[in-house]
Amino acid sequence: MMTTETTPTVQVEGLRKTFYDESRGEVHAVDGIDFDCRPGEVFGLLGANGAGKTTTLRMLSTVLRPTGGRARVMGHDVVTEPEAVRESLGFYSASTALYPRLTARETLEFFARINRYPPDRVPERVEELVDRFGIREYERGRVEKLSSGMKQKVSIARTVAHDPPVLIFDEPTVGLDVLNALEMVKVIRELRDEGKTILFSSHIMSEVEKLCDRIGVIHRGRMLAMGTLEELRELTGEHYLEDIFVHYVTRTEGVEGVELGAMGELEPAAPGDGEGAEESIPQGADAGGEEA
Amino acid sequence: MNLRSIWILYVRELRSALRERTIVVNSILMPIFLYPVMLWVLFSGFNLVQGLSEGVTSRVIFTTPAPAGHGELLDSIRAREGMSIVGWENLANAREVSESGALEGVPLFGEGEALARLREGNADVVVTFFEPPPEGQALPGNFRVRLRYDRAEGRSVQARDRVEAVVEVYRNLWMVRQAGTLGIDPEARFQFALSSENVSSSQDLGAMVLAQLISFFLVIMVALGCFVPAVDTTAGERERSTWETLMTVAASRASMVTAKYLYVATLGIAAGALNVVALFISIGAVIRPLLEDAGESITFSIPLKAIPIMMAGAASLAFFFAAAMMILASFARSFKDGQAMVQPVYWLIFLPFILGGQTDRNLTPAIASIPVANVSMMIRDAVTGVFIWPLIAQTLIVTLATVLLCLVAARYVLRFEDFLLGSFDGSFWRFVRDRMSAGKNGTAY
Repeated sequence: MMTTETTPTVQVEGLRKTFYDESRGEVHAVDGIDFDCRPGEVFGLLGANGAGKTTTLRMLSTVLRPTGGRARVMGHDVVTEPEAVRESLGFYSASTALYPRLTARETLEFFARINRYPPDRVPERVEELVDRFGIREYERGRVEKLSSGMKQKVSIARTVAHDPPVLIFDEPTVGLDVLNALEMVKVIRELRDEGKTILFSSHIMSEVEKLCDRIGVIHRGRMLAMGTLEELRELTGEHYLEDIFVHYVTRTEGVEGVELGAMGELEPAAPGDGEGAEESIPQGADAGGEEA
Repeated sequence: MNLRSIWILYVRELRSALRERTIVVNSILMPIFLYPVMLWVLFSGFNLVQGLSEGVTSRVIFTTPAPAGHGELLDSIRAREGMSIVGWENLANAREVSESGALEGVPLFGEGEALARLREGNADVVVTFFEPPPEGQALPGNFRVRLRYDRAEGRSVQARDRVEAVVEVYRNLWMVRQAGTLGIDPEARFQFALSSENVSSSQDLGAMVLAQLISFFLVIMVALGCFVPAVDTTAGERERSTWETLMTVAASRASMVTAKYLYVATLGIAAGALNVVALFISIGAVIRPLLEDAGESITFSIPLKAIPIMMAGAASLAFFFAAAMMILASFARSFKDGQAMVQPVYWLIFLPFILGGQTDRNLTPAIASIPVANVSMMIRDAVTGVFIWPLIAQTLIVTLATVLLCLVAARYVLRFEDFLLGSFDGSFWRFVRDRMSAGKNGTAY
């Protein structure tokens, strides 16, 4: 499918995920969220642990099947065309490890091939990745023997091995030291600058502030707010993202009847539903390749 | 399903597996070296035990003097290597046993003391001579011997055997002499003779040995070949956190499972095939020379028709073990848990032993309906040249039906994403129980 800069590469509408838990019964991990992302944009999902970020990203990567709503990646539906969706994206998270008994080079070859990169161009692509991520020195070393920093590089390289237009980074800096975390942020910026659509989830405010063109605040499976950092500042009157986040969370926890608009903006509650929020966050316009 | 994806995933699995020591040892080295090592250990152990037992001295106690004229018997006992007469060595005036008086210089023990020594382990066998009953007294010099020993003690049993052997040899010589004295031709003293003749050929003997070995060890080796790969590719993936990585690649779930399944079955088949090849090499190099040294004539060969039967048997077993083990191991979150969960399948390898291994029967319709045991019996029959085609077909159909059942179960289980993502906390049996009960259907993918 052809995609222009104005066409969303990721479209999420009323996405829902309900789990059954023996002790808690039905758990609404994701409760009808909406957003979209465009090429050259880093869209950040900001939320506390258990807010529903990972579940959302897992549904987008087709690891989980949505209970309701729709999601499309590069025009492919996550339910009906899961393989095409996976071909269009790269998924990176702390829970996606590398095969320890393959070498770095074999890892890149495997992920390029299995994700349907043109077979005749795989060797060339691997060379490119080896050079780009500085893997040359240990390309023949088995992953299990590499340091965590080296593994991180191989892991990012394997995520982009098939050159997907959409990349998902689910809490990518968890467990990394400061230098490696900075390196990760740098790589994500570069990928954004190349025109990739990037979905980034984190609970680390500073990372989100530095990296994301638009931010979605997610809490208890619901999108509380969405916009650029400046927009969120204006709406809340808070400067720091941490305060902005707390603003929305406490408001939701403390005020009944807060509802979200179709695209995630806060809307006044229906009469009789208690106090409602008067503010409305306009949907993030095309972020293009601008830096946050 | 996409064949290219399956191939890429399959090669990846195989490449990783061949770099894992546990898999290489269990699925490749063990099948190759089982027979040579097992035979070497067996024969070394046998020789060691035999050597040790030969080196043990049997302590003999006499409670009565030897009958007159039988001093030679005592000489034979004393002269037998590995035997000593208790008290003899301490006797200052020990003399050779005289022809007439016998037992001159041989210390005698009272019944009570002799038995006490035997029970305390200070003697191994107690020898007592008796007068023969009246009907036996017609033959001059006739006598009886009673040997008392402790069956709970190996060396006591051995001492009894040694004394018995000496008495037996002495008796035969004495009988020959007596026959001569009475003017009877020594050969004529035998009223009838018993002889037995083996009508089986050296090929038959070889086929019997091969059938026993192959039918049992092939099952073990195929199961062993599947065991570690099945656990590694499921529970191992979860433990290494590569499961979710795999779930995000652009291949269908069916392709992923198929690749894994083929990989586990491949190693099972490889283990079985290597085992059979190793058996033939070992037999040529180890067993045959040993048997020839022992004077046995044996030829190891199998009918050509048996080869495809063995291959089909090994393959069907591998597909069965792979499916069953993978399903159970998929519920584990770690390699160790996976090993424990797969154990019930592993114990199935003893079915052939229980159902078919102890009888000399051929494959029957009843046994052909029992998975694992049927394949083992089918192979045993084929190696010995017995081909009951309807039962062979029944065996393969039953095994394939079992495989199919496992795959249907796997397909059912894979629909549930709590299982798929490893968040289901329990075994296969708990899963079946929970999902079968109303209202707990989980989320089906």
